[in-house]
Amino acid sequence: MDQPDLDRQSVAPGRHIGQWLLMAAFVVITIIFVMPLVLMIFSAFKPSAEILRVPPTFFPQAPTLDNFRTVLNEAPYGSWYRNSLVVACAVTALSLFTSSVGGYIFAKFEFPLKQPLFVLILITLMIPFPVLLIPNYLIANRLGLLNSLWALVLPGMVSAFGIFLMRQFAAGIPRDLIEAARLDGASEWSIFARIMLPLMRPALAALGVFTFLASWNDYLWPLVAINDLDKSTLPLALTFFNTLHAQRFDLVMAAATMAVVPVLIVFLIFQRHIVKALVLAGMR
Amino acid sequence: MAVSTLLVPAKPRVARRPRPPGHASQMAFVASGLIPILAMFAVFAFAPVGIVLWLSLHKYNQLAPTAPFIGLRNFEFAFYTDPYFINALTVTLKYALVAVPLNLLFALPIAIGLNQVTRLRAVFRSAFFLPTVASAVGVSLIWRYLYEPQAGALNALLAIAGLPQPSWLADPTTALWAILVTAVWQDLGYNILILLAGLQTIPDDFYDAAKVDGAGPWPRFVGITMPLLSRTLLFVSVLTMISYLQQFTYVQVMPREPGDPIHSTETMVLYIYTKAFSNMQLGYASAISVVLMAIILAITLVQFRLLRSRWEY
Repeated sequence: MDQPDLDRQSVAPGRHIGQWLLMAAFVVITIIFVMPLVLMIFSAFKPSAEILRVPPTFFPQAPTLDNFRTVLNEAPYGSWYRNSLVVACAVTALSLFTSSVGGYIFAKFEFPLKQPLFVLILITLMIPFPVLLIPNYLIANRLGLLNSLWALVLPGMVSAFGIFLMRQFAAGIPRDLIEAARLDGASEWSIFARIMLPLMRPALAALGVFTFLASWNDYLWPLVAINDLDKSTLPLALTFFNTLHAQRFDLVMAAATMAVVPVLIVFLIFQRHIVKALVLAGMR
Repeated sequence: MAVSTLLVPAKPRVARRPRPPGHASQMAFVASGLIPILAMFAVFAFAPVGIVLWLSLHKYNQLAPTAPFIGLRNFEFAFYTDPYFINALTVTLKYALVAVPLNLLFALPIAIGLNQVTRLRAVFRSAFFLPTVASAVGVSLIWRYLYEPQAGALNALLAIAGLPQPSWLADPTTALWAILVTAVWQDLGYNILILLAGLQTIPDDFYDAAKVDGAGPWPRFVGITMPLLSRTLLFVSVLTMISYLQQFTYVQVMPREPGDPIHSTETMVLYIYTKAFSNMQLGYASAISVVLMAIILAITLVQFRLLRSRWEY
């Protein structure tokens, strides 16, 4: 499938007034649209007296870092961050590996039961996660995974969507390369590692970004699988912090800012990849 | 080898009988690569489907020693006796049926506008996309603050405009819609992106030809954009519908208590969660999961049918 070029210019230059009106409209809409995020960041810098003022202030009158300090001192914010990073990195690395191996095998090999197995994997794409919440909880319990980060990593190790995406991508890679390597006497695993993996890099980058974000932001499964505060991931910890300080919006917004803003910055840096990944994911 | 490739067109199925050299090592690779993957799927995907179906037919409570088979009694109880299930089903459907059109009502014009903008398109696109990469929990906390009756920004604006200032999340008539706006705000960027990609697959020639024929912007939209975008639109609607049928995070985090006020924001997934993990009724909660699965599968199958039949171009 052709990748649409998202930055293509589709209007001939020359219709200046219309363009400027459209631009102005978009500037206004965009400002309104990002306002909640701006307010979150501004509120995080307001002292507790200012945050409750009616009517509320827009810019912080006396900006302070106290809220961030309190959050970091009062809550194990560092270990929440570490847990989130460990889980998201492990899930991303493992599922990229299994997806590329699985996708390559389904694209380039003939073996018994190939079609039924592939269809079986695709069918799981149609079943939403919340439906499987209870059985997954019971299975994690039986395997002794509950209340450990393993419970968050192991179920994320394989991804039907990832295998599907990588199969589509691997199918477009010429067979000759693989055959040539075989004639040279390369082992099957080294063909995968030395030839296929580098060629699949664009799709891997897209899938990696997608998987990382999904794992980083996941809430429902960690909520069920994790009990201890020191094993929490960020989203879980944020709600805990919120119930602890329901009316301290200065603290809650500081905690939210620390959780959300790094992701936004990473997005802005890698936005080309991410946008491509999500279009790729959406256009399946 | 050389002769057989000359005689037989490159179809692996035909060439299989005299096994090519290296066949054994290829099969070993397939087995070593695929068996662990299939084992993981068996444990965390195939088995759970079986277990949830089994549980839905049993009275299963983790604390009770036995789990008697009760046939369809769980489903019977849900549909005939349990007002909270009917409430959750109604809330979920109501929410999805409003949120999907609302989302597209914003996403489609913005996508069409972005497709026309020649400068700063990437900047606008990123701005609309920012909320999508934030965590739903973070977004819930932000909007909980915006909706705060006294110190919140929304009511401050309404006060300036001299309008009434509802206590959004505490009022059962407004809470669900306030949460819905939050969800649409967060998801909009994704749909804009997909629709924009769809719009850009429409060749410019079509529009140029229509302009030559004297078609104005509206006829061009109805005659070219809509029919050629309908596949993407259908796809986006179904995907959005499926995700709005599974809302959990916002309704769990934003109200004072999950599902408050008076169950007006209690969606099916939240009800499943509460029944399973607060009331420990895993069998009954599984039956509700099966109902949700049936609804979502039905929508998915309808989409497959529609995509296969009419929408070809």
